[in-house]
Amino acid sequence: MKLKLSVLIFAAMVFGFFLPPVCQAHTPLCSCYDNGDGRVTCEGGFSDGSSAAGVQVRIEDGAGKVLIQGKMDDDSEFTFDKPAGDYKVQFNAGEGHEITVHGKEITE
Amino acid sequence: MKHVIITISTLAFLALTVPAFAHFQMIYTPESALNKGGKIPLAIVFTHPFEAGHTMDMGNPEQFFVVRSRGENAPKKTDLLSTLKPINWTSLTNSGKAYETEYKARGGDHVFCLVPSPYFEAGEDAYIQQSTKMIVNVGGEPGAWMEPVGLDCEIVPLCKPYDRWTGNVFQGKVLFKGKPVAGAEIEIEFLNHKPLLDKKAFAKEAAAVAPQDAFVLQTIFADDNGVFTFGIPKAGWWGFAALGLDPEGSYKGKECSRDAVIWIKAVDM
Repeated sequence: MKLKLSVLIFAAMVFGFFLPPVCQAHTPLCSCYDNGDGRVTCEGGFSDGSSAAGVQVRIEDGAGKVLIQGKMDDDSEFTFDKPAGDYKVQFNAGEGHEITVHGKEITE
Repeated sequence: MKHVIITISTLAFLALTVPAFAHFQMIYTPESALNKGGKIPLAIVFTHPFEAGHTMDMGNPEQFFVVRSRGENAPKKTDLLSTLKPINWTSLTNSGKAYETEYKARGGDHVFCLVPSPYFEAGEDAYIQQSTKMIVNVGGEPGAWMEPVGLDCEIVPLCKPYDRWTGNVFQGKVLFKGKPVAGAEIEIEFLNHKPLLDKKAFAKEAAAVAPQDAFVLQTIFADDNGVFTFGIPKAGWWGFAALGLDPEGSYKGKECSRDAVIWIKAVDM
């Protein structure tokens, strides 16, 4: 039991040692484009090239009310109908990994 | 009569001693690392970039396409051949047949690839065909910039080609039909005169002055694995041309130098 515990502690130390650099090399990225057909596509990803498939996406209106909610698809994309008024896209890959894109910045 | 002969032989001698600056097929766009997607202009010019000198009437493009990749998504190839518009590009000494187009870029890596039809170089009684790559990244998310796109003659970057600071090295691997070319000869030129896309011409002002002709066209060789390394001394676009990769290269019964070209842009810190 004692041996198992020390192995666990060692494993935790090794994990802890490697975790910080991984985080630093892993900046979230999200860019959105107006498709010109009433729809908007957001492309999510990370600066190290890893996939954003499954990352939560929320579209909110100017007052913060959630209009659309979903997840990045297998190609790390999320396409939605462009809301009529002010809106923003929230890309949420966990604490410290959130990005907000404002609707008025989204162009073709 | 004697006078005429002397004049002709002097002219011939002068013609022969004009420094043989290297030909570089260019795929030019102002920036290789963009923050936002959108339309980017592309100019395709066959020239001598350091001197912005004689610009050749380039061969009709046989292939022009882009391979886009983003994150872990599979790279997608899009044919752009039909988007090319013929233009005349003005150098400091002449003007030559070139092409331009626009491309709507989104996130990730875009590897632009051009294979022109061989160009006849009368001075050498031989053809030149330069398969050319230029890589643009949007938003900082990398894709498959390090993968070969499958051109017969190709330089594959071993360093991210759009993240080089001035003073970094650039490394590439020279491939012919997918296999490394040991000891490949590589010529390097700096794009010394800014291309003015609206004027379809090179700017008259040079960014750098060469103290002697050897500096205009730098030469290095790849190692036994086809890998070359170059320290980048100045911000801007640099062209690398690996020469004569096909030992049996011929076209219309004449010798044809099949070359691989890649362009990278370095920025100051």
